[in-house]
Amino acid sequence: MIDVSMLLFLFMATCAVGAALAVVLPDRMNLVVQTVVGIVASAIALAASGAVLLLGLSFDINLWRLPGLGPISLHMDRISALFVFVTALVYLPISLFSVEYMEKYVGRYSIKFFGFFSHLLFASIVLTLAAGDVASFLFAWELMTILSYLLVTYEHREEEVTSAGYLLLSMSEVGTFAAALGLLIIAGSADNLSFSALRNASSGIGEAARWGVFLLTFFGFGVKAGLIPGSSWLPRAHPAAPANCSAVLSGVILNLGIYGIVRVNADLLPVSHASQGIVALIVGSLSALIGILYATIDNDMKRMLAHSSIENMGIITACLGAGFVFLASGQSALAGIAFVVAFYHTVNHSLYKALLFLGAGAVDSKVGGRNMNRFGGLIKRMPWTSAWFLVGALSIAALPPFNGFVTEWLTLQTLLQSAVLSAKGLKIAFALCGAMLALTAALAVTCFVKAYGMSFLGMPRSKAAESAAEAKSPTIVSMAMLAALCFIFGITPTYVIPVIDGAVSPVVHQSVTDELVPPFFSGNKTKNPKFSDAFMAEFHDLGAQVGSSVLPGRGLVVLHQGTARNPVIFAMSTSYTFVVLAILIIGSVLVIRLLFRNRVVLRKPVWDGGIRRLFPEMTYTATGFSNPVRVIFEAIFRPSMSENTRETISGHFRTAIRNGREETYVVDRALVNPLIRSSQWLAGLIGLIHSARVNAYAGYVLLTLLAFLVIQTLI
Amino acid sequence: MNQSHIARPTRKDLIDGICSRWPGMEANTRIEEDGSALITCDIATLRELCEWLFCENNYAFATLIVEDEEADWLFRYIFYGDAEVGVVHVCMKQPKSNTVAPSITAGAHAADWHEREVEDLFGISFEGHPRLGDFVLHEEWPEGVNPMKKDFDASKPYMHREVDPEWRPLRILEAQGAFMMPIGPVYSDYAEACQFFLETVGEDVVRTTPRIFYKFRGVEKLAENQPVERVLLMAERFSGASAFAHSLAFCRAVEKISGLEPPPRGQLLRVLFAELERLRHHVGAIAGICGSTALAVATSQASILEEELLRLSCIMSGHRYLFGVNRPGGISIDVTSDQCKMLGDSVRSIASDLKNLFDMLRLSSSFLDRIEEVGIVSTENALSYGLVGPVARGSGIARDLRNILPYGPYKSQIACQTALETEGDGYARLRVLFREAEESANIICRLSSELPPGDVASPEFRLKAGQALGWVEAPLGAAFHWVSIGEEGAVKRYRVTPPSFMNWHGFHLAAENFAFQDFPIVMATFGLSNAECDR
Amino acid sequence: MSKWVLLGIRSGTKTTRYPSHTESAAGISPGRPKDTLMADKNAQALIRDLCPTGALNPKNDRIAVDYRRCISCRRCARGASTLVDWEESWEWASLSAPDLNASSALGSPFSQSLHIRVLDAGACRACLSEIEQLGKPYYNIHRLGFFMTPTPRHADVLLVAGPVADNMRLPLEKAYDAMPTPKRVVAVGACALSGGVFGPSFTSYGSLKNVIPVDVEIPGCPPPPLAIIHGLLVLTGRRPPAESGATSFLDRRSGT
Repeated sequence: MIDVSMLLFLFMATCAVGAALAVVLPDRMNLVVQTVVGIVASAIALAASGAVLLLGLSFDINLWRLPGLGPISLHMDRISALFVFVTALVYLPISLFSVEYMEKYVGRYSIKFFGFFSHLLFASIVLTLAAGDVASFLFAWELMTILSYLLVTYEHREEEVTSAGYLLLSMSEVGTFAAALGLLIIAGSADNLSFSALRNASSGIGEAARWGVFLLTFFGFGVKAGLIPGSSWLPRAHPAAPANCSAVLSGVILNLGIYGIVRVNADLLPVSHASQGIVALIVGSLSALIGILYATIDNDMKRMLAHSSIENMGIITACLGAGFVFLASGQSALAGIAFVVAFYHTVNHSLYKALLFLGAGAVDSKVGGRNMNRFGGLIKRMPWTSAWFLVGALSIAALPPFNGFVTEWLTLQTLLQSAVLSAKGLKIAFALCGAMLALTAALAVTCFVKAYGMSFLGMPRSKAAESAAEAKSPTIVSMAMLAALCFIFGITPTYVIPVIDGAVSPVVHQSVTDELVPPFFSGNKTKNPKFSDAFMAEFHDLGAQVGSSVLPGRGLVVLHQGTARNPVIFAMSTSYTFVVLAILIIGSVLVIRLLFRNRVVLRKPVWDGGIRRLFPEMTYTATGFSNPVRVIFEAIFRPSMSENTRETISGHFRTAIRNGREETYVVDRALVNPLIRSSQWLAGLIGLIHSARVNAYAGYVLLTLLAFLVIQTLI
Repeated sequence: MNQSHIARPTRKDLIDGICSRWPGMEANTRIEEDGSALITCDIATLRELCEWLFCENNYAFATLIVEDEEADWLFRYIFYGDAEVGVVHVCMKQPKSNTVAPSITAGAHAADWHEREVEDLFGISFEGHPRLGDFVLHEEWPEGVNPMKKDFDASKPYMHREVDPEWRPLRILEAQGAFMMPIGPVYSDYAEACQFFLETVGEDVVRTTPRIFYKFRGVEKLAENQPVERVLLMAERFSGASAFAHSLAFCRAVEKISGLEPPPRGQLLRVLFAELERLRHHVGAIAGICGSTALAVATSQASILEEELLRLSCIMSGHRYLFGVNRPGGISIDVTSDQCKMLGDSVRSIASDLKNLFDMLRLSSSFLDRIEEVGIVSTENALSYGLVGPVARGSGIARDLRNILPYGPYKSQIACQTALETEGDGYARLRVLFREAEESANIICRLSSELPPGDVASPEFRLKAGQALGWVEAPLGAAFHWVSIGEEGAVKRYRVTPPSFMNWHGFHLAAENFAFQDFPIVMATFGLSNAECDR
Repeated sequence: MSKWVLLGIRSGTKTTRYPSHTESAAGISPGRPKDTLMADKNAQALIRDLCPTGALNPKNDRIAVDYRRCISCRRCARGASTLVDWEESWEWASLSAPDLNASSALGSPFSQSLHIRVLDAGACRACLSEIEQLGKPYYNIHRLGFFMTPTPRHADVLLVAGPVADNMRLPLEKAYDAMPTPKRVVAVGACALSGGVFGPSFTSYGSLKNVIPVDVEIPGCPPPPLAIIHGLLVLTGRRPPAESGATSFLDRRSGT
């Protein structure tokens, strides 16, 4: 029998050993050992969380009982297990990737430092997810924040790296403070600090307090998740960190923010008012739109991926918001569907974002730099890297048969179910947010067409791109693993959904597997009260049960049943899509080969108007590709011309035209900069007190004494 | 006649001005018998003198002629004003060993491309010119090989092919993500061979750099040591669309050397044919502008008129493009009075169709939207770049050689209005074209009924040695032909400055900061010819 | 907008009906010299010296015309006491190799649907202007199934004018290379056939044949639009070619 607590103990021990070894070993061996330890730790964590998630084993330990703080416990339910599973799933390939990637830091920065802190970070993440009470949760959360800060500022001699890390740390602290406050409000009505006590206390909390908890935890954890208005740190931190840390940051740590939101607002103190869900929905949709807009116009590959993470977190939050609204309106089946989709998207996002960041890291280490305007033509020089990056780009652009399609499609379908809601305001909000998310999806395609096309296709635009070499096997294998996972999670949604449903059903108090993956495709013909015989027979005759004879399970179609008038609300099958696509593509290739086997194909250079040869500066750049988006959404970007000079000789020979354009992030412009300005103004006002005259200070002392005397007499 | 922007010093002012500024130059200044002023100066005063003429006295720059003599390089800068001050030649001599000359482009920017051409073809570098090289001879020609030098053998193809691997097109735009779109030299359905580099950051095109001389046939070199009849053929045929005008300028230069003028009938017939060519050329340019904006019916209407004019030219002269009509001493064909009457009637009907078309175009807002405020060339830029022809007159420069340097019957018998617009955009140039076409049609109709009887060519024409400048207002603007005939009756030096050469220089002014879709429209409103420019 | 439609309708049809009917309007072709009987040796010598490009050559008691060289200067028709005969025609196109069967060269699918890429190899703009008239109302080659295309990738025919200026040699070769087979080349005008007055020189290759293989030759300076249409019809096998451009009919018949 699998003992989850044994596995977790083993996991912690592995991390500790790894951290200790990292401090003592010399650099080259250190890298290999770190990788091995990372892989082993990930495997153990996978086993542990898999056991909880798939087999239903539970894990509950009361560690100590501290005076004043109450019991310190660790508890892993299926929600935590899901997040730990995703963490380990992503950490494995990243550890493998690190062995080649970190070679460029040997001699420049301390490999020991990296190994030590990254193992501790893994441990702290799992601790955060497994925390069973407020104290251990906050302790592990802080540890995780500080460790991620230390790893982000790994290249500590660069000024922009340190300032980015500082911003990350400070904003995280603000968020943590708000979230902690929210948790403590709940704890105020509970017996002790454990999560089970908090769950029971939910009945004693008033309306205003509930709103307070929701807003504090939503926006507090939202900072960690990268939702607006707390997203300013993301676009700065990701480019500053080394690529494997960016992958961890984006694929794992952002999820912790989502975990926090879900844990408080769906589990500990479930959302009671539909408006709270609307807040989440709107914030999520806006984050998605703003994130993808900035991603589309950005030419720095890592910063673009950072903005794209904001977009995906926004989509997840929007889905969560829809779930909250359904939950508060009593539609628990739809709420369950929404939560399933949100979690599924979390998993998917971790997978393809990690893949993309690893790809960006590979390109950065082989070509040097992150500016897409200086790449180009890498498909010939780095074929495997570009192939896996293409899989990542297709996934994030939500194209079948990869995983992004499943959750993007399901998200929009879920939002369309707003028809069951009665309040008009809710329906309008759903419609507008659905439209925003649809626009986001279209822009995501643009963004990644540009990212892939400009970096890998065309002519190399710099000497470094011309002389790039392919990465070695650790990089390629790690990216291949993630690409394979993207593919698998894309064509087997009907197997993934029941597993995620296991995590969701305690929250909505019912299982929604039948709502999404009905059982009648398995050919069992067992009677089910939800589905009429005629309905089941119809699909049986259509041959929808074919898949079940191939693989054990509920079949290969995701389907949501409706009323008698409208039997099927939505249905899709990426499994069958993939099979049909494969047949069509291979079939077409074979037919063409057969029909034209005698035809001679001549390959000639591209027609270029008769010019002697094409130069790289004559090919489209990333800036040029995204300029239409920049122009259309000018109201959001508000670019300013930083430089607009014309140089001439003798007034007529134009020697240079210099155009520069600068944009300030919209969140900074709208929120952060005014806050900074007003607090500086306030500080300036208060600073008037510092007059540096001794008489004034003596006067302050006198005034304070008088004030105390007055208050004393009044009380 | 003349409008603003051109100060009007007299010849006496010119001499007085020169003598007061550069004392001691009086001995080097003289007036020739044809009224032009000849100033000989040395290297030190060349730059100042040219800039003084161009900037302060508003002379226009016609051409720069360099001759490869045995012991010296001869430089001749030609400026022109209006009829009162005429043409000014500034001559300079330099020993062969010295291949560096001062550049006058700081003040007279119109000389920019002339100096570049001399640098490529003669190997003389101009100090102070920041952009010499890669002009006429493209990257296949190595340094140090200059075709116009006397020791270069022009009869065999030049076989050396050393392509410079470092050659790149000049980039002017410096911005994040800036790139350059190459167009040509083979592009579009019917366009002539020319290459453009459009620099952009993805929205508007910020800068256009044309690269010409893809059609360089070396007319000036081929003409050396050839008889005048042969060079006349080249003068006619290097630009087929304005063949008559260029052959006219060449013949006038030769006639000036021999001191002979054609008889009155011959001169008036020359005007008739020249205006017929101008009318046909302008109608073709109007068809091109309508075609670039995709207004199909207007394009077809203008094309119909163009073909009718081509057929008229063929009936009157035997050739649709008026080849073989001009010859030194007059013209080689005569016309009957029936032909003249038919010509007058046809041109009258064509002119009324043209007017109808213009009235309709003026009221088509979708058409006007595309050419108004597109491709603007300001008056100051047009002046300093030395633009000529309808392009310059659309930008407020009232220079038409038929009025400011009248030749033949234009001196007294034929008066023509200078069409002038000031906005400098595509619509202004279109209006100029329509007005000049109308003017040409009027002249043709008048002349077709007023031709005096007599000979069409001077019978006692005899070639002499000497050199002279012939000019003509070609359909595209002022054209200057400089001919120098040697003792044996063969041409020693032939220099052509066609109007397209001056106007291509200023094309990039109109093609800055515009949307890419407007590029064909800007090209069409300029209506330039690469064959004429590249010679 | 409607006023433009009305104007177009009021203008009527101007298009020529060639090749289904003969065209007899005035001014459609400048004509060209033709084989002339001239027995007097002195007159022969005079005519031969008059021609600036050597297109007129005495052969026994005739003057033979090399159409590839004739540049339409008309000195032979005006400048001497004994003049050369003139023919007002326009069907001048011939095959560059007389035994080449043009109609099978391209194949019947192309005879009613031909895509043409016009290439300016240094032409003076008279030939280009005549080519431009092809798409205009008076000639309108679309009715014959001929179309202009801006890219050689879609082109079946390369229509070249000009004496192949040195700087245009590479673009010409690249354009020819970029055309998919089957492809044909038509040389338009005296410059493309023999170099015209610009001839082979230090910066012109003279004849197009020196650079790429030529299938149909259309002499003239410039050949009128109807001659170019005739050349395209010869290329697609819809019209027989004129006798070979190198020597005139009489000489071929007499076997010299």
